[in-house]
Amino acid sequence: MSETAATPPPILPEAAPLPEKVLRRLFLTLFLRGRSARQLKRATAPNSIGKKLALTLVFYALVGATALSFWHQPVFALAAYVHAMTFVFLGMFVASSAGEVLFNKEEADILLHRPIRPQTMLWAKIRVLVEVSLWLAFAFNLAGLYVGFNSAGGWRFPIIHIFSTTLEALFCTGSIVLAYQLCLRWFGRERLDGLMTMAQVFIAIAAVLSGQILPRLLVHMNHVLGINEASWWIALLPPAWFAGVDDAFAGSSQMVSWLLAAIAVTTTSLVLWLAFGKLAHSYEIGLQTLNETVAARGQKSGRRRWLDQIVSLPPLSWWLRDPVSRASFLLTIAYLLRDRDVKLRVYPGIAPMLILPFVFLLQDHGHQATATAAPNFFVPFTGAYLGLVPLLGLRLLQYSQQWQAADVFRVAPLAGPAALCHGARRAVLCLLVLPILLLVGLIVWLLKHDLNTLFLLLPGIIALPIFALVPNLRGRGVPLSVPTDSAKSAGRGLMMIPVMFIAFGIAGLASFSWTHEWFWQFIAAEVLVVIIAYAILRWMIDRARWPAMG
Amino acid sequence: MISVVQLTKVFGAQTAVDKLSFEIPAGQIVGFLGPNGAGKSTTLKMLTGMLEPTSGQATIAGFDLQRDLLEVKRHVGFVPESGAVFESLTGLEYLEMVAALYGIPKNAARARIKQFIAFFDLSFETLTDKLLGAYSKGMRRKVVITSALLHNPPVVFFDEPLDGLDANAAVGFKALIQMLAREGKTIVYSSHILDVVERVCHRVIIIDKGKLLLDGKPDELVATHNSGTLEKLFTQLTGGAELEQRAEDFAKTFRP
Repeated sequence: MSETAATPPPILPEAAPLPEKVLRRLFLTLFLRGRSARQLKRATAPNSIGKKLALTLVFYALVGATALSFWHQPVFALAAYVHAMTFVFLGMFVASSAGEVLFNKEEADILLHRPIRPQTMLWAKIRVLVEVSLWLAFAFNLAGLYVGFNSAGGWRFPIIHIFSTTLEALFCTGSIVLAYQLCLRWFGRERLDGLMTMAQVFIAIAAVLSGQILPRLLVHMNHVLGINEASWWIALLPPAWFAGVDDAFAGSSQMVSWLLAAIAVTTTSLVLWLAFGKLAHSYEIGLQTLNETVAARGQKSGRRRWLDQIVSLPPLSWWLRDPVSRASFLLTIAYLLRDRDVKLRVYPGIAPMLILPFVFLLQDHGHQATATAAPNFFVPFTGAYLGLVPLLGLRLLQYSQQWQAADVFRVAPLAGPAALCHGARRAVLCLLVLPILLLVGLIVWLLKHDLNTLFLLLPGIIALPIFALVPNLRGRGVPLSVPTDSAKSAGRGLMMIPVMFIAFGIAGLASFSWTHEWFWQFIAAEVLVVIIAYAILRWMIDRARWPAMG
Repeated sequence: MISVVQLTKVFGAQTAVDKLSFEIPAGQIVGFLGPNGAGKSTTLKMLTGMLEPTSGQATIAGFDLQRDLLEVKRHVGFVPESGAVFESLTGLEYLEMVAALYGIPKNAARARIKQFIAFFDLSFETLTDKLLGAYSKGMRRKVVITSALLHNPPVVFFDEPLDGLDANAAVGFKALIQMLAREGKTIVYSSHILDVVERVCHRVIIIDKGKLLLDGKPDELVATHNSGTLEKLFTQLTGGAELEQRAEDFAKTFRP
């Protein structure tokens, strides 16, 4: 130890940086670089995130190019479409990121004893969320801005659309924060963890639903805004409010648009006032809750005993004969049921993705109700689309704030991660896939009133084990072993695309074979293909050795 | 400098801290001891403003914990047991961020950080080039200690500060806190390494199950209870008297 100078420098508050600026810069850096790092150097850390962000922006811009099809449509139609899709993307982005950004357990130990007001911290985080949201929204809206400027809206469209999109981003972020605060206020801090997950799932589903419904509603309205007895409820869909802002200032300027614009401004102001003014104290309580090391016990141990009993009984005891797979199964189930971080990532990540087949099913049902001929396509599509659940579930389960604890797997005398991957895969199939499958079956039965239609789900169900094996290839499916920051990639959205193509393929074949009465021959052929593919994938996974530490 | 009156924290049905009262004058190093789950960390978190007390009062550096929370936070430094840092920042980025939160201008902060670097034998290049996630545990602990003392607080709370420090750094740190106490700083030192506490602290407070068990000078307490060492006194008070026998019995289960 060398000697140090005795006199500390004077503290000059007047020349000091503002805490708001310091925190905003901190949270933006943490968001872009991630919160944890293993053997990283400063020069390499931000680059990888930058690439991911660039890829995400390109992906959003490409999807947003669909707005080019609105070239000769009225301003409201264009604005409603881009706001609806922006709402879906922003809702899903904010719902999946907000938990990690707003309530980070380690952050409490670092920041909570510093002289910062909780409101200041909250505002800094919200600002970062809104800024990143706006980047994504900007990428998605590029084509829409171009169409609006050159076609319907003229020079006023880009200006007002940027304003309305900013309002939309504030509304999405404010809604999530408000949902947390209301949960805290109404149900208390003890139930915060479970309620946070529910609130995020609900908001993500609501965002996707309203984003899916509005464009379909527009088709019925012939792309022209007009509220009557049949379509008054368009005023309940948030994307329509923000489209109203665009239409009021750069479009038809009719009374209905001004009304929707007024709802947009009033509701966003109200949400922001409640979330950041009236209920800001609840945020402090939420942060303090993370600090409470003494947690409620009691019923948790009961749940664990119940789980142990289930696992020791057939058929699970047969399926989980290998002790390592059984341990991994229990670990995965425990995290899916208990861990706030995992729950906030997995459930809000999967739920909105599953809205699409339900919307198709309901749309198909509506067509049938109006006596339009509808092929049996969307039932097998829904079945095959469920492959996204194990694919996405297992991918998301790899991330954990306690990823370093997964080193225990490498220390254990295991040649490779196969047994751990199999345990996690089986847990996802039991806890996520099975309930969703039952729910889909029930919905199909309720809509079709025909038990035979349920057979159309079979092609998708048969393909599920293959979807569940894919994330484990090259030993990558070890649960809870990857830092959470890697979860912020564009891969989740991109994953939907191949699954959707496969689902379309399976559904097309199933529908065709059903119509031509060789459905069961198709099923037999599919079973054969799946068995061969399963054997090959299992062989590859069982031979996999530990991937290099990142 | 620290005054605690009937401080209580209840989590659901469990009382973590139960009507704790004590006073610590300026310039004193107080060992804050207790077995696992005794309520030490909860008490420290309440006194640093991280947790809201259920009831009771506390005054730190003349500021009321409930009324002047921000002032309390400005006047305390805290080294939490977790040693948590933002791993994706470099050491320098982290320390400059902390300094900024206490209102220290950048140039003054940089100069002060350099003094700490010199004291802890850290290289400036390490601090600027490597992310904290790549630091060894000891280096990270040095950064956390620096971040607690950077704003020159009159009251400092240490929760297991030696965890991860090598022998030389530990010796230097113990000397530092003794010198800081002579400069008039109040230091609360929570640790399970009792021989260090016995050597460094002017006074010890022992709590168990959230309640105060003993409060006094280490040598006087050891003499009064005729226990020989602080460690023996601690195990007597907290139900660990038969630990050696239990260890011996348990070791027998490892025989082939």
